[in-house]
Order: sequence, then structure tokens, then C-alpha cells
Amino acid sequence: MSSNDNHKGEGHIHTHQDSPCWSCRGSVDQRAPFCHACGMIQAPRPGDEFQRLGMKADFDLDPKDLEKRYFAFQRKFHPDRFATKTSREKQLSLQHATDLNEAYDRLKAPLSRAEALLESKGAGKQDQARTESDPELLMEAMESREALADAETADEVAKLEARTRMEVEVSEEALSVAFAADDLEGATNIVTRLKYLLKLLQETSRKRLSLHN
Amino acid sequence: MAYSEKLIEHYENPRNIGSFEKDDAGVGTGLVGAPACGDVMKLQIKVSPEGIIEDAKFKTFGCGSAIASSSLVTEWVKGKSLDEAGEIKNTDIAEELALPPVKIHCSVLAEDAIKAAINDYKEKAAAPAKGEAAE
Ligand SMILES: [Zn+2]
Repeated sequence: MSSNDNHKGEGHIHTHQDSPCWSCRGSVDQRAPFCHACGMIQAPRPGDEFQRLGMKADFDLDPKDLEKRYFAFQRKFHPDRFATKTSREKQLSLQHATDLNEAYDRLKAPLSRAEALLESKGAGKQDQARTESDPELLMEAMESREALADAETADEVAKLEARTRMEVEVSEEALSVAFAADDLEGATNIVTRLKYLLKLLQETSRKRLSLHN
Repeated sequence: MAYSEKLIEHYENPRNIGSFEKDDAGVGTGLVGAPACGDVMKLQIKVSPEGIIEDAKFKTFGCGSAIASSSLVTEWVKGKSLDEAGEIKNTDIAEELALPPVKIHCSVLAEDAIKAAINDYKEKAAAPAKGEAAE
């Protein structure tokens, strides 16, 4: 796009594009947060949550590994390390830290991790307000909400809640299977179902708490 | 956010809550929603042999605007022919209740629900009655 990139005019194609460091003008891998040559912090580049934490884009991940990587990156961008730096560097480190926190939060929970993975694979965001076209899920939703509305004791509600929790676990396992088979349509449907289940769980715990009083 | 008086009135005193037996002749059921957002809406109509909607009931789980939208639609469709009821637009509902822009989807849901109920009734009416040979 810019006219001063004639130094790589050999038709050589990089898998990861390089761009010049804003400080030393050296070439930096677009995804690297620090310049290889001068160590200067770079502006955050567009990238998905998995890239921000240096992980393989996969639904199954080791929560301990995720946490370890998060803390390691957090140290690199920690404000203490930029206390004596220029305001531009301070600002960039803050941007990185914010992106990092968002990425970590998103990868931590199975539902948002599945959504992040679908996005990174180009299976676009679903329209939330869309009228659901899956009649079975609608029927199930209506029946479980009716059962919850009819439940009169905390015990009955607790039973519904326990069953819903189990369904959540089953759905999370199904997500793992779908992603392992690269079945993005299947995974998208399970994401919808999981959202419904988590919403139902909110309603059941709300009702259980109100019955306890 | 300031809600209109009509909206609050329909939310606090919803009309026509309940169900008809969905297999009864003359009953059309529309089930719509976005379960992922916590919205499910069931709207049912009872249609006379002359094709007039005699009664309507709803059951909605969702926000106040979704409940008010479905309550309003059950009021509106009573006494209407199927064609007239099918002409109800979500914009009419949103205008009547003065729905804020973020709640427009609730009126869309109510329009979808009445359309689905009408379609269900028509499909049942076109199909051979239960117990008769399908020929
Ligand atoms: Zn540099």
C-alpha cells in the first residue's frame, strides 16, 4: 500500500507479513509485540485471541497452560516496565495489556472460546436477534421455561438446575468433538444451544434464590 | 430508559396469557424466539369456521417488551380475519408501544409469532382431518 516498501520487491511472499518498526524502521513480524532488532514495543496488530496468547487455535486447551502464558505476557506489558519510557511506549503497552486481558477472558470460558474459534475460522458471528429456526430447540426452551415457571419449591428448581448443568457439560463435550472433526456448522448449532442453556441457568438460579428468602 | 405507559400497562397486566390445546381443530400455534437470548414466544389463535379469529392466547418468556408485544398482538387479532391479522407489521407494534430502538426485535418476534400461528392453522386446515384416510 505505501510506496516505500520497494525493498521487498522480489515477489517473495511471506506467510506472516512483515512491517517496519516505528522506531528503528527494521522489519518486524506483524504479530510480534516487540521489535526483533531494537526491542521497541510495537502497536498491537490485528489478530485473534489465540495468536495473542501464542497458542494453537484449538477448542481443547490446557487451562494451566493458558494461565501461564497469560501471566508471562502480562509481565511483559506491565506498567512498571514502562514507568521510565516515553508516553507512546506507555500507551502501546497499555493497549497490549487491554487486548491481552480481553483475549484471556474470552479463551477462559468454553462458550466464548468456541465463539472466538469460530470467528478465527471465518464462521461469522451469529445474529443474536434472529428468530430461531430450529423448532426442536424452541420447543425445548418453551418446555423448560414452563417447567421452571411451574416449579413451586426450591427443591424442584434445584433439580431443574442440576439437569441444566449436566446439559451444559454434555454440550461442552459435544463442542470439543465438533471442532475436532472441523464441523463448524455443528459447532455453531451447539454454541446456540449452549447460550440457551446458560441463559436458562441464570433463570433457574434467580428463581432458586428468590424461593430461599 | 423511559418506557411508554402502554408498554408498562401491557407488561404489568398482560392480556390473554395461557394456552389452547394445540391439536384442537381451529387452533393455530406459532412458536418463535431466540432461545440463545432467553426469548421464547408462543402465540395461539382460535379460528371460527368462517375464518375469523375468535380468541388468542400467548405465553412469552423474555423481557418486558417481548411480553407487552405479544400481549398487544393477541388483543389486536381478536375479531380479525386471517388475512387482516396477517397484515400486522412489527412497526405498528413498535409504534403503539413506543418501543425503544434496542427493543425493536421484540416486535419482530411478535409479528413472526402471529404469522407462524396463521400458517400453522392453514396447514392444519389443508391437511386431512385426523382418523380419516389420507387420500
Ligand atoms: Zn526496531
